[in-house]
Amino acid sequence: MELLRPDSAEAAAAALGNGSVALAGGTELVPLLRDGIVRAEKLVELRDVVPRGVDGTRIGAGTTLAELEVDPDIPQALREACSLAASPQLRSMSTLGGNLLQATRCWYWRLNFPCYLHGGDTCHAKAGQHREHAIFGNERCASAHPSDPAAALLALGARLRTTSREFSLVDLYRLPTDEERNVTALEPGEVILELDVPRPEASVYLKAMERRKWSFAIVGVAAARFADSIRLGLAGVAPIPWALSSVADLEQATPLLGTAYKVQIARALVRRAVEAVSAPAGA
Amino acid sequence: MVVELTINGNAYELEAPVGRTLAEVLRLDLGLTGTKIACGEGHCGACTVQLDGVPVLSCITLVHTVGDREVTTIEGLREHPLVEAFVEADATQCGFCTPGQIVTASALLAANASPSDDEIRHAMAGNLCRCGTYPKIERAIHTVAGDGGGS
Repeated sequence: MELLRPDSAEAAAAALGNGSVALAGGTELVPLLRDGIVRAEKLVELRDVVPRGVDGTRIGAGTTLAELEVDPDIPQALREACSLAASPQLRSMSTLGGNLLQATRCWYWRLNFPCYLHGGDTCHAKAGQHREHAIFGNERCASAHPSDPAAALLALGARLRTTSREFSLVDLYRLPTDEERNVTALEPGEVILELDVPRPEASVYLKAMERRKWSFAIVGVAAARFADSIRLGLAGVAPIPWALSSVADLEQATPLLGTAYKVQIARALVRRAVEAVSAPAGA
Repeated sequence: MVVELTINGNAYELEAPVGRTLAEVLRLDLGLTGTKIACGEGHCGACTVQLDGVPVLSCITLVHTVGDREVTTIEGLREHPLVEAFVEADATQCGFCTPGQIVTASALLAANASPSDDEIRHAMAGNLCRCGTYPKIERAIHTVAGDGGGS
């Protein structure tokens, strides 16, 4: 394996593909390389070429979650999502851009079962152990997307700027299909550079976990209020970060036998999150 | 590929393949075995070292990405008052997680000389202790913070 240190984001993008894989914080990639789930001939180091830091509503994709969890200038939902994600060491290493591109925690996928996401025709979780899995979008694959910041950024209506285009975060993700198993829509040789995160009037991130620290979301709920509308983004409930257009959407959930409890948790967290961001009566 | 490192104030230069982790270099190439590898996949915190004072997981840090950041390991913290405080508080049982605990705790105290219980728990959440010595670890940190054992 070789390591490339490009001197610009454009050079990094040009070096990707054909066995070359982007390396930012490494918290996801390094274990996946070791487990043989990702294979790379070359690693392309992004640390010195992707923007880092917060400037107004713009956040560099190279900013670490540790930097964001203490930043008073970003929306509360994103700050809380970063603070509740992973462990302190992982937050110090991991970048926001990399967090958005992380893979599922599904143990079948991580153990390299020939599952639907890996290109096979079966979701082993559906017939097997799936208590941490999806309640939405789980027809083909029942994995759950673990990103807390992605849920917050969905509720906040974030947009991405990459080396080749600008688009809404919601369009970064797609459910896996027979034709395309990858759940992110980045093109080969495309690097996320920056996010534009609108300022809401109020926002919050609530996360149900098996313990109070250092745990992936059973269900994470972000709510953000802009004028009179409240947007919701959920973590841990679908193969991709999941936007709800209304509270009533929760009734469309398609839980598995072992994930029905998540619907109840989602209902409770959505109710609390909406209450938390709603304008006080008479205001 | 050649890598140059500054570890506990000492300069090192060695040859290492690109996939080699900082933890492997510390333990296997340099004999700095105070840093432990337990889970080996970034979950447990036993391998914690500081890069420019920030605790990171050396078992998932590729050594060639360290760059010019200064590495501090438990060997560089021999004289730190936390070492004695952990002994006094009986904050080790099997002791395997202790180097990582002290590396993380020393960074916490450098940033916050008098952390609250909640601040300690937030900062230390990435260092797991299978023996369950958490209350004693908290007490040891409070002792060094000089607030006599916490709230």
